[in-house]
Amino acid sequence: MQPKLTAKALCANTEVGKISKIIVDPLSHEISHVIVQERHGAERQVPIAQVQEVVNEEEIVLRCSPEEFIQFPILERDQYVTIKEVEIAHLEDHLHVEPGEILVPLPRLEQGVPRRTFFTNMTHAIGTLIALPLVYPVLKYLMKPMFKPFDNAWFTVGNVKKVNKENIGFQFKFTRGFKEAFMPEQQIEKNIWVVKATPAVQQAVYEGNDKKFYDDKGDVIWVNKANSPYIGYSGKCPHLGCGYKWRRTKNFPDGVFLCPCHLSIYDEAGKVIEGPAPRPLDVLPLQVDAGGNVKIIDVEYKAGVNNQIRLL
Amino acid sequence: MKEDSQVASQQNAFEKVVEFVDERVGLKNIQAKMLNEPIPGGSRWAYAFGSVLLFIFILQVVTGILLMFYYVPSTDHAYASTQYIIHEVDYGWFLLSYHFWGSSAMVVMVFAHMSQVFLWGAYKKPRELVWLVGLALFGIVMGFGFTGYLLPWDQRAYWATVVGVEIMDKTPIVGDFLARFLKGGPTPGQMTLSRFFVIHVMVLPAALAGLAGLHIFLFRKAGPAGPFRGSPEELKAKTDYFFPRQIWKDIVAMATVFLIICSLAFIEPVVLLEQATPDPGDYHPEPEWYFLFLFQLLRLKIFGGEFGQFLGAMAIPGAFMAFLAALPFLDTSSERNIFKRPVALIGWTVIMVFILVFTVSAIINRHFLD
Repeated sequence: MQPKLTAKALCANTEVGKISKIIVDPLSHEISHVIVQERHGAERQVPIAQVQEVVNEEEIVLRCSPEEFIQFPILERDQYVTIKEVEIAHLEDHLHVEPGEILVPLPRLEQGVPRRTFFTNMTHAIGTLIALPLVYPVLKYLMKPMFKPFDNAWFTVGNVKKVNKENIGFQFKFTRGFKEAFMPEQQIEKNIWVVKATPAVQQAVYEGNDKKFYDDKGDVIWVNKANSPYIGYSGKCPHLGCGYKWRRTKNFPDGVFLCPCHLSIYDEAGKVIEGPAPRPLDVLPLQVDAGGNVKIIDVEYKAGVNNQIRLL
Repeated sequence: MKEDSQVASQQNAFEKVVEFVDERVGLKNIQAKMLNEPIPGGSRWAYAFGSVLLFIFILQVVTGILLMFYYVPSTDHAYASTQYIIHEVDYGWFLLSYHFWGSSAMVVMVFAHMSQVFLWGAYKKPRELVWLVGLALFGIVMGFGFTGYLLPWDQRAYWATVVGVEIMDKTPIVGDFLARFLKGGPTPGQMTLSRFFVIHVMVLPAALAGLAGLHIFLFRKAGPAGPFRGSPEELKAKTDYFFPRQIWKDIVAMATVFLIICSLAFIEPVVLLEQATPDPGDYHPEPEWYFLFLFQLLRLKIFGGEFGQFLGAMAIPGAFMAFLAALPFLDTSSERNIFKRPVALIGWTVIMVFILVFTVSAIINRHFLD
């Protein structure tokens, strides 16, 4: 039904007043009452069930007699709020009252749909033309420090005299300069592990083959001989990049490399004994000079992958 | 006209200003619409989580801005400036500790909020978009935790980031780019700190503010779901507006959370470890407590190796988030009562138990390592 507000309300062919308001149920969104304003101004609240017929937009017919009509309660306005003052989701969508449309004239210049479409498309096109040329410079701007050539410098990390037992991990802490972008060179602390390997362990590490190290162009920069006794391991756990330790545990009284993060365990040859690590410890390019100084290239590989992918 | 001027002369200056603004902005209608939102079945304490989250976020913004008055995001000053905030600046320790514990409170509340919406079945039609935007907000809150954790530049900060970024590196196809992009290079350093800083203080707050606004708009558009039990007549009889009863409950909940965060800041103020360096020394790296279950999960042998790790760190969490996003479209029954949705109830319980067990076992493992 679409009663027009201000429609006349009739009871038994007698006009009792005009509809001035309607009351809507906030949950069902259905009209629950119509408010009929009598000629002298009193507003009565008539249940929707009393509406017998909507004759037309000007008239509705109520079931009650004029005598019964004046029994309906007077509207108590302070028990209601207008729909402007309250937020009821989707009220307008479901409201069975059509308040009608209020029209304003469309300016002459705006008449003609194709031109509007043209302007919409042009707006999008110009926006795209502004944004597109920015993509590449912005990306390059942000990517500037992401890829760097490998650092193949040798660092002296300590003296080999420290490694006085075979097949035991010895930690060498060293400090290296680290130059980044505009920053002054900073000294950062790192560590590696060195094992004096028996021939059996050498065999386990190198499997009889010399290990070659490459720069970013693919040229060989250093070769670890398969029979060299001192083996250096990168301090970075190949699982997810934490720092591991040499530990003696109940199950491994001779000692193992143990990473405290995700509990990967490696033997003295760097092989994974337990835990989630995907590959053995990373062997570093290492040389021992005549004075017994241990020198390494501070190579770093990506953690968490089966193959060594060099990062630094 | 005469009457109008009489009315105007009866107003005081403040009322005149309000009148002036209202005439131009429609302030009173906006206020009425904001406060007069019918809540089917009436206000409840259980509905306070969302408001509390907004409150925590606002205070995180305030304390975060205050911290930036002294903090310097560079590898040679981040640690020293944070120590300065803690030890030298008046009440610096409190603001930093509040910010720290506020982040934990945020995660707890997000959890509570999501659980409530899930258990109440409030993600169902017509609230699918509210749920989806909520999931994005959840991701942003996690991003806040991850990026903010690095900023003090101590060992804890450094190693959580090293491991976190290595995990992101395992994203299919874009992983390597993403990890290098976040690190700003092959290894963590100044560029990482700069990037995390700008993400933490600019990108994420803007994203969160925008999406939280959208979240609330969509929520208001769809209307509150109300309880999952009760006939329309009962719900109607108990209905009240957002103001005053729900706002009262919200403000009490906010005050309670505020007091808890303050207490934690007093009892356990932030203490930094050694300055960050690629040598962990005696420190056993660990992420923030709400990532512990994932950390513990990755210790399992089945999530070892390249593929296992991808499974545990990427595929399973990713699939779980995708499942949550698809949930309102998969679960199309209109039944909202959690006691009539056994799969949902069991699923939620299993996940909670899983998170609890893995978090506790990560904590127990600490003793084993020492």
